[in-house]
Amino acid sequence: MLQRALRRRQRAEALAANLPPLLVEAERVAATVAQGVHGRRRVGQGETFWQFRHYEPGDQPQLIDWRQSAKSDQVFVRELEWEAAQSVWLWCDTSASMDWTSGDDHGSKRRRAELLTLALMVLLVRGGERVALLGSGQPPATGRGTVTRMALQLEHLEANDSSLPPGQVLPRFAQVVMLSDFLAPLGDIDRSVRRLAESGVRGHLIQILDPAEESLPYEGRVLFQGLEGEDPWLLSRTESVRGDYQNRLQRQFDGLDAIARSIGWTYTRHRSDTSAQAVLLTLYAALTANQAL
Amino acid sequence: MLELGPLAFAQPWLLMALGALPLLWWLLRLTPPAPRRIDFPALRLLTGLRPPEETPARTPPWLVALRLLIAALIILGLAQPLLNPSRPLAGSGPLVLIVDDGWAAARNWPQRRDTINGLIDQAERDGRSLVVLTTAPKGPDSQVAASDPLNPAAARRLLQGLAPQPWPVDRRAALAALEAVTLEASAPVVWLSDGLNHGESEADLRDFMARLRAIGPVRVYQDEPLRLARRLGTPQLDAGSVGVEVERASSEGEDLAVVRALAEDGRLLGRAEARFAPGEARSSVRFELPTELRNEIARLKIEAEETAAAVFLIDERWRRRPVGLVAAGPLALRPLLGEVYYLERALAPYTEVQKGSVGELLRQGVAVLTLADAGRLPAEEAEALSLWIEQGGTLLRFAGPRMAQQGDDALLPVRLRLGDRTLSGAMTWSRPAKLAPFHRGSPFAGLDLPEDVVVERQVLAEPALDLPEKTWARLEDGTPLVTAERRGEGWLVLIHTSANTDWSNLALSGLFIEMLRKIVAVSQGVANVTADEALPPLEALDGFGLLGRPPATAVALDAETIEAGRIDARHPPGIYGRDSLRRAYNLADQVGPLAGLGPSIDGQAVQSFAGRSETVLLPWLLAAALVLALLDMFIALALRGLLIPARLGRGAAVLLLGAAAGLLAGAPAEAQDGDDAFALKATTDTRLAYVRTGIPAVDEVSHAGLTGLSRVLNRRTAVEAAEPVGVRLGRDELAFFPLLYWPVTREQRALDSAAAAAVNAFLKNGGTILFDLRRPEAAAQVLGQPSTALQTLTRDIQVPALIPVSPDHVLTKAFYLMQDFPGRYAGGTLWIESAEGRVNDGVSSVMIGANDWAGAWAIDEQGRPLFPAVPGGERQREMAYRFGVNLVMYALTGNYKTDQVHVPYILERLGQ
Repeated sequence: MLQRALRRRQRAEALAANLPPLLVEAERVAATVAQGVHGRRRVGQGETFWQFRHYEPGDQPQLIDWRQSAKSDQVFVRELEWEAAQSVWLWCDTSASMDWTSGDDHGSKRRRAELLTLALMVLLVRGGERVALLGSGQPPATGRGTVTRMALQLEHLEANDSSLPPGQVLPRFAQVVMLSDFLAPLGDIDRSVRRLAESGVRGHLIQILDPAEESLPYEGRVLFQGLEGEDPWLLSRTESVRGDYQNRLQRQFDGLDAIARSIGWTYTRHRSDTSAQAVLLTLYAALTANQAL
Repeated sequence: MLELGPLAFAQPWLLMALGALPLLWWLLRLTPPAPRRIDFPALRLLTGLRPPEETPARTPPWLVALRLLIAALIILGLAQPLLNPSRPLAGSGPLVLIVDDGWAAARNWPQRRDTINGLIDQAERDGRSLVVLTTAPKGPDSQVAASDPLNPAAARRLLQGLAPQPWPVDRRAALAALEAVTLEASAPVVWLSDGLNHGESEADLRDFMARLRAIGPVRVYQDEPLRLARRLGTPQLDAGSVGVEVERASSEGEDLAVVRALAEDGRLLGRAEARFAPGEARSSVRFELPTELRNEIARLKIEAEETAAAVFLIDERWRRRPVGLVAAGPLALRPLLGEVYYLERALAPYTEVQKGSVGELLRQGVAVLTLADAGRLPAEEAEALSLWIEQGGTLLRFAGPRMAQQGDDALLPVRLRLGDRTLSGAMTWSRPAKLAPFHRGSPFAGLDLPEDVVVERQVLAEPALDLPEKTWARLEDGTPLVTAERRGEGWLVLIHTSANTDWSNLALSGLFIEMLRKIVAVSQGVANVTADEALPPLEALDGFGLLGRPPATAVALDAETIEAGRIDARHPPGIYGRDSLRRAYNLADQVGPLAGLGPSIDGQAVQSFAGRSETVLLPWLLAAALVLALLDMFIALALRGLLIPARLGRGAAVLLLGAAAGLLAGAPAEAQDGDDAFALKATTDTRLAYVRTGIPAVDEVSHAGLTGLSRVLNRRTAVEAAEPVGVRLGRDELAFFPLLYWPVTREQRALDSAAAAAVNAFLKNGGTILFDLRRPEAAAQVLGQPSTALQTLTRDIQVPALIPVSPDHVLTKAFYLMQDFPGRYAGGTLWIESAEGRVNDGVSSVMIGANDWAGAWAIDEQGRPLFPAVPGGERQREMAYRFGVNLVMYALTGNYKTDQVHVPYILERLGQ
């Protein structure tokens, strides 16, 4: 299992390697744009020197600054500034409808969504940002090990029925990236993202669709079955309803676009048989666009 | 029965169902094909959409035609069509079936069986019962009796079990049995004869046929002349070969019989062809074999003929050549100088040697009798010997001082001069003579002559015209050394020097042994004396000439039976006797000359078995329908779009493989696969193993713990442990694992017997089990307190006496130096086997502790420990890992670290 997670991470890294480290603009502390690391002016975990203090029992010996201690009789401990980074929450739809592909030449939608999630995670971590998976229950973290851990978590996320993110309360000024096929009713989607948007979270919607879902290439007498327990639908001549279907799909696209625009989020569409790089580039642009604000 | 030329229908009324086919056509046309089923995530967007108009989908006409064809085939098949229907049975009574099942029927048994089955089928269709009469006597009383009228199924069961018997049929008894059958109506009679006349006269046969005709119309089957049974004659032994005669019943046409000589283990020793010219009923073959091989022959057999008379079992009578040493006279008392001693040493390795006086030996029966420098024999002994030689005995004599003193003796091949010739000595000029090379034609031809064999003294033959012919070996100067004369059936051989070292060193050389063997090989075998005792059956031939266990009816063979040559159920052909005395009792010996019944019997025409047989078409039609139905299934799938060409090949292969596997192997194969997979998994890598307790929480901890330990082992030591496996006791093979971790819980059940046996075997063969009680307070209960979980579990396991680990035990230094063995809890005592060092390379087979090691070792998938170690924190966990490493090293490498115990003493001795 670890092997598979590692392989997946390698593919994501290869994808992310072509883009410069992604730096999510921190809105709150716009002034201190030091490699995406936002100093808290407090003692804590970080890399910048903050102060020396006397050694106390209980401190780890590794923390002793021997050069400073050698200057006097006292033993000194070096303390570092607590640094905080922007947290980015990624959500990847794991419902049964994502686990579907129309052909052998391209993978399932879920596979593509996971790849994009990890690629994005690699970029973010490389930029020093803290990332977390929405719905995993784990706090945001950074560092290279994080990506591996998240890859494992992603593997373990079981297929659930919900096509929409859980109503988790996110810290203000966090960013959310949502990857899904967004085929749920528009009203549900609207409710779910608006709740996040109202708590000041900024976000990006990436709709991943299979080519067959866009074109409906089937012909003849077909019984369509749902993947999430919907009632089947029998069509005697599928080709005759293709135009109507595509109109409905277009209305779904337009609705999603409208929702995203109304709350100031971005909306991107992606087809699972096209290059993942293109959508990553778009996403990169969307995330860095905030830098200009 | 409806007949249409070569085709007939047994159930013609079923054909009426063909009339229903048009209805089927109409029904099939109306039903649309089933829709394809496609999973589609965006179903919500499709729901509610309707195509503009709904045209009814129809099955294409050619598919309907195919389905009608399938239906028609099934209907035709059920009407039971027959190709080449055989003649209907005459008469109205039951079918009387007379089957010759003696030895001669075995050659064409499959054809006979086909004919029998055909007749039963016919009787079944005509609704007749059958009366079955088998003509070979059966049972301990050797009786022949006709069955009561049987229904065809019962007759089929009876005749399925019918096999040819290894003895002849008894037609007289069959005739008597037929007299007892009373049938009211005229019944058809079918006689499946074996084509041989078993010593019956014309009149007997006429009586038999007359009786058959009295019952009803008769049909007689018989083998073609070239397929009649043949038999082997009694093998004849000659000086260098085995000859055997093959006899056939009919002398028509040319024929060929290949006879094989086989060893006891079935090895082919020789193969010879016997050709029968037209008009000849007998032909003989001859095997030229070296003596050793000839003595190995265990049976002769006609190739590709499976009858009891085509096999001839060979026993000791055909290979025994006992040699008698006349051990009398004063020299016999000097063990190391006596001639008998040398002869015995030379002969014993290759032949059976008997010692005694002339009279005794002749009574026992020997092939060769050796007389070493005997002097003049008493008159009656000489006479007996002379007679014995005439009958085939070989007398081997050696010269000596006494023979040299006596001139004339009837039992010598040549006339001797009085006195002996001395070739070396203090007073002679001449040198000891060497042997001349053996001339061609001598039995010794081809033997190597050692350089150092010399003859110092010999007796000389009077020159005679026939002396060169009688000479088998000469000295360099041309004087005979070995002379022989044929007398009657036997041989008289004289070696012109002594059998001991007095006159020559020949007796010390290897040549002496070779020469004696050649002389023995020249001799004839002896006929075994008939044992007075009864010989129990050891192995018996069955009707097909195969040796097997004797049937239950077989009884011991006595001399009287052998004399009478009786072969029946009580005395089947085969091997009788004991291990030391094996007597072959052959059918081929006992059946008289073979004679065929001829092309017609008492004017009754005979038909051969190989006639055209009727063919039942039912299975073929149904098979064709099945194939078409499969084709129809594929077509239906293709029409629904479920059959994609790329997947077709794969699918078909999977289908075929699945069908084949399902047919051939069935369920056991699956289990086998599972076992194999487990064995492969367990053996391709070194794996730690734990006992699955059946309690998920405990098993998960065990697995996580051993995973953590495996990771530490991989990182720190040369052990490359793969992912651990859980084993189910009694079901999985334990032998693959050096170490078994066994968490003990109160909830586990006591072991069943299979599990206990597996664990005991594991411990006995060098496995190690670490029992972990997992709670420190449980440790106190190991000793003393009864009814703990551990004691319940190990009730059936042989746990040796235990002691706490001593401070200098290998476990304390197998990899890391450590004195206590903490796990999640510290401080518990680890108990090990007390009697170490004797077995298993000193590795204790059982270790018991209570520190919950797996808990300390356990990690999650991200490598983080699962449980805190109390009270010692991470240091204690590290020590737990170290104990784990030591434990695995101890289990894998045994006691080699024990040597470290001696290091201080070694260093002290070295003076350092």
